[in-house]
Amino acid sequence: MGKPGFSPRGGGFRGGRDGGGGRGGFGRSPGGRGGGRGGFKGGRNVIIEPHRHEGVFIARGKEDALVTLNMVPGEAVYGEKRISVEEGEKKIEYRVWNPFRSKLAAAILGGVDQIYMPPGSKVLYLGAASGTTVSHVSDVVGPEGLVYAVEFSHRSGRDLLNMAKKRTNVIPIIEDARHPHKYRMLVGMVDTVFADVAQPDQARIVALNAQYFLKNGGHFVISIKASCIDSTAQPEAVFASEVKKLQADKLKPQEQITLEPYERDHAVVVGVYRPPPKSKGG
Amino acid sequence: MSSWKKVSKTNQRTHRERHQPESRSHLGLLEKKKDYRLRAKDHDEKQRTLRLLKRRALNRNPDEFYFHMINSKVEDGEHKELEKDDEHTPDQIRLMQSQDLKYVSTKRIMETRKIERLQSHLHLLDAANEVKNKHIFFVDTEKEAKQFDLCKQLDTHPSLLKRRINRPRNIALKNMSFPEVEEAVIEKLTAERDKKYMELQKRIERERELTVIQQKLEMKRHLLNKKERTPKRIKPSTKDAPPIYKWDYERKR
Repeated sequence: MGKPGFSPRGGGFRGGRDGGGGRGGFGRSPGGRGGGRGGFKGGRNVIIEPHRHEGVFIARGKEDALVTLNMVPGEAVYGEKRISVEEGEKKIEYRVWNPFRSKLAAAILGGVDQIYMPPGSKVLYLGAASGTTVSHVSDVVGPEGLVYAVEFSHRSGRDLLNMAKKRTNVIPIIEDARHPHKYRMLVGMVDTVFADVAQPDQARIVALNAQYFLKNGGHFVISIKASCIDSTAQPEAVFASEVKKLQADKLKPQEQITLEPYERDHAVVVGVYRPPPKSKGG
Repeated sequence: MSSWKKVSKTNQRTHRERHQPESRSHLGLLEKKKDYRLRAKDHDEKQRTLRLLKRRALNRNPDEFYFHMINSKVEDGEHKELEKDDEHTPDQIRLMQSQDLKYVSTKRIMETRKIERLQSHLHLLDAANEVKNKHIFFVDTEKEAKQFDLCKQLDTHPSLLKRRINRPRNIALKNMSFPEVEEAVIEKLTAERDKKYMELQKRIERERELTVIQQKLEMKRHLLNKKERTPKRIKPSTKDAPPIYKWDYERKR
């Protein structure tokens, strides 16, 4: 405020900050001020926009990012950035969800219609890897929901276990997704199956797990990496053949989306398992 | 007695030399004795040098040789010393080049990490809206396909259809409340974000350059192996690709 140059730019908030610093010891003496400023800054620096899919948000401002509401405030899972925003009295923390690393995030930003993971739903996640995306799915389904995370590799399974320790709604399973009978005692009926296994027999793996755990009319979300299934064929052809395979197993596709600009030759297919007959459902 | 001399000179009339008369001014300054002496000395010097050079040329030994004769050269009328290249053993060269390669790859890895860190919170949201992707909806009958309406399917406002990163449903749009943010704050934040995007872009470019350099250096290192027969070059290197060589197939034991 001592600097008139800032006032026309609406710098009430900037000028105030500068003034406080300039006064030195005088400005610092009331202890409450420092704390208040932090929150003020956090609130102003980010504008949070609710996303089409519940539990997902977009942070605009200094960042330009897809975020989820952090279920365990104060904890980052894999060193991702956290954004805290003060809304009224309470402080809300968001975690940045990187679409360059997560196929699901890339599909969400690509404009997918449905991900079928509303808060409170149960999700079977095949190919959990280190649990980076799993942690965000756990944020999305919230404390009422449940995520069964299946991963075969022990090495990345270790990170998955550590993540699950902090999150009560994640159940880690270190087992081969090709043999769902091995973990059938752990997993109940689920609403959605998400698969990111990058194996040539991915469709079969999803179908097997759907038979065991997916409720009738439940949904599946599969990420397909064209080069993992057939590296010689055209990606379009690979996606089409995978969709055919899914249809044969009563997994009815509803939409398919490619993941540009975040991934090349990747697609996410969303669909429904054993849909109820149309005449009854309306 | 110099002081006396000095004092006696004070009353002396100043000696004024005659200068060039107006009528002869076209001849330039009028030369005096001391000017003449300078000119004559210079002339003599030159004459003497010429005479000496002439004599040396006459007395020249045709078999005479100095190394300086081949270690220097006259180029565009300028006498230049020829510089010798630094000498290295092949081993030294190999080591130096591998060190270069290591340096470049370290730098490249650093850039990659920095890009990752920046990209983790800069998700190119505006670019994502513009980059084309393929979104297919599956319907049961042809009639449905004909009647398909994207706006109805997504249950959103028509003006949001192009904004793929977030197309909230109509119900959510009705209940949505917007935070009050000053225009100036938004402007400031946008400027900061743009700055970061600029940094990201520069880092990506640098990383690409370093990748090409690394590939070219690697190829050079492979070519240093003297035990193999020199491979055939299929494609010369370009600005953004290393050269392509083909080695003879050698059966492995």
